[in-house]
Amino acid sequence: MKLHEFVVRRLLLLVPVLIGVAILTFTISHLIPADAAAARCGDRCGLTVAWTEDGEPISAYQQNREQMGMNEPVTTQFRIYFEDLAVGDWGESSTYHRPVVDVLRDAAPITLEMTFFALFIAYPLGITLGILSAVRQDRMFDHISRFFAIAFVSLPIFWFAMVLQLLFAIGPVSGVGGVCDPLFSTEGGCFPIFGRHDPSLTYPEDGFVSFYPAGGTGFHLIDSWFVTDQKLATLPVEYGSSWLLFKDTVLHLALPCACLGVASSGSLLRYMRASLLEVLHEDYVRTARAKGISESRVVIVHACRNALIPIVTILGFSIGGALSGAVLTETIFALNGMGRVAVKSIQYIDLPVIMGVTLITAVIFLLSNLVVDIMYAIVDPRVRLE
Amino acid sequence: MRGWDEGKEDRKESLRRISEALSQSRSDFSRSWKIYRRSLLAVMGLLMVMAVGTISFFADEIAVEHPYRNLQDDEWQWSIDYEPQREKPFSEECDWHEQSITTNPNSPLFSETVVAESDNHIHETAANGYHKDILTVVRLIALDDNNGYDLNISLISIDPNNSSILILSPELYENTSLPGGKVWLTYEFDNEAMHVSWMPEGYQRCIFGTNHQGQDMFSKVLYGSRVSLQIGITVASLTVIIGTIVGSVSGYFGGRIDEIIMRICDVFFAIPGLILAMAVVSAIPEMTSLTIPIWLGLLFPLLFLAMVFREYLTSTIVGDQIFDRGMGPLMKYRNVLYLIPLVLFCFLLWPDLIDFSDSRNWNLAVSIGVIFTLGVLVLADRKFIEKASFDGAGERLGKTVDWTNPWRYLSLRTVAIFVAAVVLYEFSGGDGGEIVIINDFDRLWKIQAALIVTGWPGYARLIRGQVLYVKEMAFVEAARSVGAPSGRIMFRHILPNAWAPLLVAFTLDIGGTILSASGLSFIGLGAKPGSAEWGILVSESRQWFPDDAYLMLFPGLAIAVTVLGFNLLGDGIRDVVDPKNRR
Repeated sequence: MKLHEFVVRRLLLLVPVLIGVAILTFTISHLIPADAAAARCGDRCGLTVAWTEDGEPISAYQQNREQMGMNEPVTTQFRIYFEDLAVGDWGESSTYHRPVVDVLRDAAPITLEMTFFALFIAYPLGITLGILSAVRQDRMFDHISRFFAIAFVSLPIFWFAMVLQLLFAIGPVSGVGGVCDPLFSTEGGCFPIFGRHDPSLTYPEDGFVSFYPAGGTGFHLIDSWFVTDQKLATLPVEYGSSWLLFKDTVLHLALPCACLGVASSGSLLRYMRASLLEVLHEDYVRTARAKGISESRVVIVHACRNALIPIVTILGFSIGGALSGAVLTETIFALNGMGRVAVKSIQYIDLPVIMGVTLITAVIFLLSNLVVDIMYAIVDPRVRLE
Repeated sequence: MRGWDEGKEDRKESLRRISEALSQSRSDFSRSWKIYRRSLLAVMGLLMVMAVGTISFFADEIAVEHPYRNLQDDEWQWSIDYEPQREKPFSEECDWHEQSITTNPNSPLFSETVVAESDNHIHETAANGYHKDILTVVRLIALDDNNGYDLNISLISIDPNNSSILILSPELYENTSLPGGKVWLTYEFDNEAMHVSWMPEGYQRCIFGTNHQGQDMFSKVLYGSRVSLQIGITVASLTVIIGTIVGSVSGYFGGRIDEIIMRICDVFFAIPGLILAMAVVSAIPEMTSLTIPIWLGLLFPLLFLAMVFREYLTSTIVGDQIFDRGMGPLMKYRNVLYLIPLVLFCFLLWPDLIDFSDSRNWNLAVSIGVIFTLGVLVLADRKFIEKASFDGAGERLGKTVDWTNPWRYLSLRTVAIFVAAVVLYEFSGGDGGEIVIINDFDRLWKIQAALIVTGWPGYARLIRGQVLYVKEMAFVEAARSVGAPSGRIMFRHILPNAWAPLLVAFTLDIGGTILSASGLSFIGLGAKPGSAEWGILVSESRQWFPDDAYLMLFPGLAIAVTVLGFNLLGDGIRDVVDPKNRR
């Protein structure tokens, strides 16, 4: 099978899953004991807004039900829901008072930026430690790193986030707003406790609107490089250049990403170790050793390249785990990403947003898995033969 | 075609081999243990899990404070005890108490001598549900007026005869200028409740500090282990059961069933776990208890029993295929035929029978009668068909009970019958209309249900893979060739050979479930605020976060240690049962 055939086939396989996810979210939204029609009119539900042809009064609530198609049979409702999804009309949020698509468009880059940055840290770390651990099998280093790998997977992410804040942002003794004296501080001071950027990068007179323009990509790591000089001139001196803005973003991302990435790097270490150990018993490694190639070259060139192949598949799981973890991390680090939107929508039973968040995470997760599968097919052409 | 009863000699031979294997299994266990204990980490994990288990079991003995059941709103509550609020671990202030004393002589509450007593706290045996403890005063520490200004401590003294009684000096209550007519006295009391026998003298103060309500954090963390273990084990067991059934059906039958089940699994896998669990939690309606109509509850055990009877007879009398050939379409849909009288019976007859009397014995008798009737029904049906088709079937029927094979008693269906009988007995004691599945369906049950809903596809996939692998092995082929029915092949031949990865996944899943459940509680979807659940304890501590970091430290550490224990245990078991992974 050619690569493009493989890609097309994988894409087609996505379609039934996506329809299934839509059915699932639709079912969940119908099970939720909340009335979207009542949420829309609030305390004005009893008011009469129209009359039928027979002169019977129609309340705002009844009108809403009619307008939202809630009097239709379930199958029709699902068809309408699915058509709306397809054309990008995902409903309107009752807490944000904005279309769900807009809410998600603002929230998604925050979570994605965090997720990818976290994996960017976790992958090199996990793979390097995994290789070292496999090479020094059953020695002290191996035992210690394996213990920490399991320990990192076992940490409750929300608690670990608070511990990181304590160690790197607040300090064990001082309070909020007190002298920052953490155990391990960076050169320029502490890591920020929460938020996406420094509070001075907002316009307080406009209700703390972010300095970053809404028209950008939404990823501050990228947007910071495309700020015009006129805008930069309006900023305080310590943020007066693109590099300083970028640094500010990285510093703000550091703690949440460490928190998200630590579990991934733990499991990566274990997979890399197992994979490399398996490869090290292969015949071609023995052959390479027999040829008199140095051990480091055998491990790095001959073994690692093959051991890395199955590691690609872990990427999909890591992204799923990070998306789940984002719910907790964003709550603690006050980032308005998809996780926080999800929590808020569930607290206020904002049905369209609950469905939207579930769908969009599913789409992101599925697409990233697709990319992973394609990458796997590229590095290991045997997969395509199936 | 050979029936199952025709290979008596073969069976005796296999029985001998089985008993040999049984005597070997003891040494198998000790060999496994030898492999297990080679790994220090695995032994550590086992010890951690055992420690958490012991702590949760003996929490009543170890803890300082105990939760009480508050009868009004049917939930566990903690006695608001007399420790001051938010005191650091081992702090001296844990044994201090601040009490208001009325100094206005005209007040009806006024008295020249005041009893030192704790604040109100919930007490299950007290008449109004609340109770005050009388405290023994060790020394007086401070006296403030109602505005917080210091007063001279010597205005109040301890009664030399009874150290629970405080004597007010006339100077204090003749002073009419005191604001509010009362003063606040802080004193150290002999904290009997805090004296834990297993702690050395001098370290008997609040070990993990106290929270914003003056509750002992140490006790709350201890009791939290009960909640977490209960959630972890319940959810993991139920997901294993559901996943195993679905996965083995999918793997064994293959074809369209497999395709449908796997696509459903794909959908569940497409949504990251915690987000799906959150959505499912919000979809579960608020309810106080989970009840189902009695006929529905009994339908499943009865149906299961009928299947078991049928399968038993089919496997012991003669192979399936002969009947299929003889009776054609009627036999093909015979399972459906059983359903009709069963459903009719459950809908029409059963509620009337149950309503006839409230007595438990009556209900029990009815239940047994139902089982018996069903058995006869199935037997008669089978007998009828046999008489119609074959000669000499009556003789075979006599041999259905195979007393020579002890393995029958341990088989799945014996257990199933036992479980069904227990279920029937338990449920038949209800008030007739409904079966109460869960008595107090609190929010903890909601997250458990959500985690089960999100968890089963993982096991289904795992078991499916195993079944597909084992299905192709020679012994399954052999069983199929002698006409063993599907259920038998599945439960007696395939699943026993596919349990190893299941056990590992189960152990690891307990840890994972504890993590997810505490995460859900943390974002406010799980346990009620104020309950002794680790996620809630961490989430409540955020209000006082950097100042009183000890409040979040210990519950979080408890989660980490418990989950780590289960993960290490699972890893250790993996090393034992899966030699390929061992290096």
